[in-house]
Amino acid sequence: MTDRLTDRPTDRLTGLGRPLDLRGHFDNRGLTPTSDLAAGAFNVWSNTFPAEQLPPEGSIVEIGGVLFEFPAGSERGDNLRCGGQLIELPPGRYDWLYLLAAAERRTEDLLYLHYTDGSVDPEWLRVSDFWPQTPDRFGALAAFRCSTLHYPRHVQHGVDPVIWRHRVPVPRHAELAALRLPDNPAAHIFAITPVPADDASLCCVEEVRR
Amino acid sequence: MKVELDGVRPWRHDLAGCLHACVGTLVDHAGFPPLEVLGSFWGFYYRPGDIRPEEYYFPCPDGRSLVASLAPHHPVGSRWWWPEDAEQGWQQVREQVAAGVPVAVAVDNFELPFRPAYRDVHSNHLVVVRGFDDERQTVSVLDAIPPFFSGELPLAVLTAARDSANRPAHARDMFFADDPIGNRWLQLLVEDGPGGRQPAGADPAGYLAGNLREFQAGSEPGCYRGRDGIARFLADMCDRLAAGYGITDELFVVAGVALAGAAVHADWVAETGRRQQLPGWPELARQISRTAYHWTAIRILAALSRTGDVPATRLRARRAALLAELDRTLAAVEVVLATTEPSGHPNHRRALAEENSHG
Repeated sequence: MTDRLTDRPTDRLTGLGRPLDLRGHFDNRGLTPTSDLAAGAFNVWSNTFPAEQLPPEGSIVEIGGVLFEFPAGSERGDNLRCGGQLIELPPGRYDWLYLLAAAERRTEDLLYLHYTDGSVDPEWLRVSDFWPQTPDRFGALAAFRCSTLHYPRHVQHGVDPVIWRHRVPVPRHAELAALRLPDNPAAHIFAITPVPADDASLCCVEEVRR
Repeated sequence: MKVELDGVRPWRHDLAGCLHACVGTLVDHAGFPPLEVLGSFWGFYYRPGDIRPEEYYFPCPDGRSLVASLAPHHPVGSRWWWPEDAEQGWQQVREQVAAGVPVAVAVDNFELPFRPAYRDVHSNHLVVVRGFDDERQTVSVLDAIPPFFSGELPLAVLTAARDSANRPAHARDMFFADDPIGNRWLQLLVEDGPGGRQPAGADPAGYLAGNLREFQAGSEPGCYRGRDGIARFLADMCDRLAAGYGITDELFVVAGVALAGAAVHADWVAETGRRQQLPGWPELARQISRTAYHWTAIRILAALSRTGDVPATRLRARRAALLAELDRTLAAVEVVLATTEPSGHPNHRRALAEENSHG
């Protein structure tokens, strides 16, 4: 499967990165409208995020200075459970991979960065708990904090499920080609945006090579 | 008569459930530091088939009470009471609270308006009762599990939750349904006197050393215990999954217990290391938390195995990763113990005195 950048316009928004289109990898539905509460099952108990409180499907949003494609729902869902998928990227020099993610209880695991020169490095993926009234423990940003949680038969008010913004470093001064996600289905990913290496980082590489 | 007990404070750990929350509140009220009582012990014990559909399930070695199994480094224990009926169940709880002692009562979430599962999902949960008003026929309840609740309920509502048959009605009545609540309630027992209460943080290195021995111990016949027990338990789960047997409930619940145990212990190690300025303890805490995160993954793999979406190979790979992480962690415990001054050392005593003087 070849992954690609989103084809949705991003030029009117200021922010870093070019969001990936992950629709081909989605395997879980975590967002539901109040009119169809039982249509998804983000977690074991079939809870879902309230779609009305989140950006429109497929829209480009800026979270903390980084652009993301808010997932466009499809028959396959609107997020992926980490299950060892290989996510291909437009080859490039990146400093960070930014993610919109949430877990069924916080977790961390190794993902693998694949570079175009064939080298592979493990890096830690950390994902905070989506569950209401549960603070982040990994230094993430709360990208979206809702005021209700959907149950298949009712809307629960007074609780605040969260989708978090996390990031993974890309330390190697080399072209990144893909990432292999861990096989950890507790971690869900809604969006990924690679952020190119900044000028300082690239200058540094050129200095060393000279 | 109207009673509202003072000093009944909520306690919660995000990777633990209602058992830790309720016991944390009860030991806090009894004068013990909850994180130390609940987090100083770390081990693994399970008897095959012992599983029960209780959110507060915890496997207890023979002859050891629930709280004594949860917190063996401290002089605390517990007793489950099984009243004959709802009326006796309330009178027993009322008597305790009237005497100044909060208790934990089992409830079916289906009957409690403050639980999201109200009129939806049956689940065998645990909450604290800390007061009552005879005239208004109300009870004061504390539930630290989200959505947090601290307030009054009609006695009739609590009675319905305590007396529920907890019968499953649909597919989401899983894991913790189909076990009559039976008005059961949990009494905390505290062993006072010589050898009883100790000051907070009395022997952190001793706790770690005890845990290490527990992990290194071999399993007795008929049980899974320590590192060897985890290896054999997960191997048996993998084999059963490969053979087409259902493992979902047993693995999900046992993984939840193991997750909570590792995560709460990690936080106690971190907090103790920070407060007593013990070198290496913060890093050890982080290493312990990594073992917890393997249990997070296993818990969800277990849940997904119900629909046949999890081949045994995925569980075997996670088992291998967890055991490797656990071995690294136990080796790190040994290193930390080798470099931590014993509790009788003057530097340790000074740090402990300063810590306790600061409350």
